[in-house]
Amino acid sequence: MRFQIPIGPQHPALKEPIGLRITVEGEIIRDADIRLGYNHRGIEKLAEQKTWIQNIYLTERICGICSHSHTTCYVQGVEKLMELQPPKRGLYIRTLVAELERVHSHLLWLGVAGHEAGFDSFFMYTWRDREIVMDILERISGNRVHYGINTIGGVRRDLDELQVKYILDSLEILRKRSEYYKNLGTTEPSFVARLAGVGYLSKEDAIALCAVGPTLRASGVPMDVRKDDPYAVYDEVPFEVCTADTCDVLGRAVVRIKELFQSYNIIEYLLKNLPAGEIAVKAPRRAKPNEVVSRYEAPRGENIHYIKSNGTDKPERLKVRAPTLANYAATIKMLKNGFIADVPLIFAAIDPCICCAERAVAIVDARTGQEKVVPMNILKQISQKISANKERKREAEWPL
Amino acid sequence: MATLKTLIYLVIYPGLLFLFIYSTFCEWYDRKLYARFQNRMGPTHTGRWGLLQPIADFFKLMAKEDIVPERADKGMFSALPAFGLAIVSTAMLLLPVWNYSLDRPSLTSFNGDIIVLLYLLSLPTFIFFLAGWSSTNLFSTVGAARVLTMLFGYEVPLFLSVLSPAVLANSWRLAEIAAFYRQHPLLILVNLLGFLIALICVQAKLERTPFDIPHAETEIVGGTFTEYSGKKLALFRLMQDVEMVVAAGLLATVFLGGFPGGPLVGLINFVIKTLFVIFFLTLIRATTSRIRVDQVVSFSWKYLAPLAVLQLLIVILVKGLIS
Amino acid sequence: MNDQALIDKANESLKDKVLAITNPAPRRIFLKVAVENLLEAVNWLKKDLGFTHLSTISGVDLGQSFEILYHFANNYCSFTIRTEIPRDNPQLPSICELIPGAILYERELQDMFGITIQNIPDPRPLLLPDDWPVGNYPLRKDWKYERPPEVIPGGKK
Repeated sequence: MRFQIPIGPQHPALKEPIGLRITVEGEIIRDADIRLGYNHRGIEKLAEQKTWIQNIYLTERICGICSHSHTTCYVQGVEKLMELQPPKRGLYIRTLVAELERVHSHLLWLGVAGHEAGFDSFFMYTWRDREIVMDILERISGNRVHYGINTIGGVRRDLDELQVKYILDSLEILRKRSEYYKNLGTTEPSFVARLAGVGYLSKEDAIALCAVGPTLRASGVPMDVRKDDPYAVYDEVPFEVCTADTCDVLGRAVVRIKELFQSYNIIEYLLKNLPAGEIAVKAPRRAKPNEVVSRYEAPRGENIHYIKSNGTDKPERLKVRAPTLANYAATIKMLKNGFIADVPLIFAAIDPCICCAERAVAIVDARTGQEKVVPMNILKQISQKISANKERKREAEWPL
Repeated sequence: MATLKTLIYLVIYPGLLFLFIYSTFCEWYDRKLYARFQNRMGPTHTGRWGLLQPIADFFKLMAKEDIVPERADKGMFSALPAFGLAIVSTAMLLLPVWNYSLDRPSLTSFNGDIIVLLYLLSLPTFIFFLAGWSSTNLFSTVGAARVLTMLFGYEVPLFLSVLSPAVLANSWRLAEIAAFYRQHPLLILVNLLGFLIALICVQAKLERTPFDIPHAETEIVGGTFTEYSGKKLALFRLMQDVEMVVAAGLLATVFLGGFPGGPLVGLINFVIKTLFVIFFLTLIRATTSRIRVDQVVSFSWKYLAPLAVLQLLIVILVKGLIS
Repeated sequence: MNDQALIDKANESLKDKVLAITNPAPRRIFLKVAVENLLEAVNWLKKDLGFTHLSTISGVDLGQSFEILYHFANNYCSFTIRTEIPRDNPQLPSICELIPGAILYERELQDMFGITIQNIPDPRPLLLPDDWPVGNYPLRKDWKYERPPEVIPGGKK
């Protein structure tokens, strides 16, 4: 018996709204379809009406978790358009925040993966330690999520000795805890049984479907914008690109845990070699007509902004491609012929950061399997028609 | 006098009143332990140390609006929670807590009551299945199918492992089995393997992590209970708590020597031993992640069932040795 | 591999099909081809140079025409192929045969610019709702957003 299960736009497995429609036969998924737009906010259109400076804060609000990724990507593109060279210290601090953000995002992902696999203890542990990173970020920028530290030509806040020492101390705790998660996540039998072999994505498919980030690296392709196309100060910092060749959710978890350790090393290097000097240069209000492609390795993969200027103080076009969008095609491939039980895991494994989904409601008839898409206003009419002639139910009462 | 005793047995202890209070206490204990395992506080606000939290939850749910889906089989949908609660409460009466005599079988303690108890513990699974099926929600239907699939996995090892101590004690009566192990405490060690298997199977029967597959909220929302709300959901939750107490009581009777000492000392014995069993159930819940339904079935048939047979063999050997 | 070598290879292989090739910043190459030669250029880039990763497809409304940019990347640089199509007849060939991962970006182009993608495997709308009025393409420069009057069912008039 085939029937369709609507997952989303609102569903407990999804931390943000997106529409997935899954055709199942028993417990096996035969087909999957994805629908975006529920959360579409028209940021690209809005960006054309805002100035260069206003757009920093607009791009910051594309995503909560990787807010720094989008601003950095945008800001370094605009710096190229304005022919600015930010001072070294500014770039170091920008990279430092980027790496802290990666740590906090990966810890968050570990927790979410644990929760989706029904391993709530793991979730509670990782999220407690994520607080340490959030505290560091709060010390640096004053905010826990939207750091607002980037500006065109550098960063807005400097670091002092005490902050450096605080970060280094906290880093020790994080290292120790991450070591524990590495053991737990890769040896706990029921957890590994749940992750291994799930969501298989072969190397060829990963390349053909243009997957990015840990999803791609877990399929054995060592692609990392930080290494391939170094921005900020990544050409000076020693680090390795982490890959795994198991091509499944376990591989993605391993890649992320390995990247945690790389990030700790990078943070330590940055803090120990922090140059003295200015943190920002003054930026002009306008940019000459030009265009630029800016790439950035966000925690979820390659983030790309295409910016075109037309000589005014507003951009002509700002195209944003968040890493999650690039992974959707691969997700559908991974979902097919899997189990329903694996849907949340596979979907969580790309670390979805959804700023999209749908605005219509899909009504699936369980008896016939027929599905019709009904827009919200007609749905309202239907519900009014049904409830109009009914007598009112008794109010709920306290039973004692 | 006998009538009064029976009435007390039915209504107060270990009947409805005690069962309600004790099962909510067990839920609090389970929640608190689970929270402490996860570095959290657990319930703290309602009552001393949050002791009244499960009762508050129960009454809160009772006061909520009760919705029956249009397409659901209304009679069945509404009757199932009460029916389920009645079944598990009946099962509780069969546990030899007090008001039984070893020599003279009575209505609550007779030869073969272990089989009846196991049967009464199997019924809730069907109640869950019917609940999911009759609500005609997609998620409930998937949940209901999962309930039955899991049943085929854990039921056989559970029966084998619970019945092997009975074989050694040479009785089908819970009171006699418990009395036998009180006389020969060392023989409890023989059933250690069976105790472990039974713990895992009870965990599956109670649908707790790693076997909370029928209502895995990240996959199929509320699973079998998706459409339930208000009073019906409250009764279902109470039923699960009672089921936990009864299952823990069964394991304590069969594997840990029962609850000797009349009403009062027996009560203390009952509390200590069931909490001991529930501690392990919570430990399993806190340290594992949910597995897939096919993994449950293959795990039970590959490992649990052969080990349960091995336990039965050990018991038969030991029985030959001591007789 | 360096920028100049890539530019030389492009001029050598595509010859007069190259309308313009620029290198505004290190590791950034922009190649302009006519829309008829788009598939050939993409095929050349994928097969001969090994640019298998399509980062995204951007569309820009230039007023009289649409500019479409295909941002490719490999482990050295970002290579962009651009093409221009007239605004009154926006037709574009699909590159999904060569790059299967392009499907979502092409659907996005269809929604946002009203460009017809020929031979697209899955032409349904991706981002816009199903009751979105026909002929409204949000990222065109002449499209302005107007908030529809809010009606609360059963609310105050």
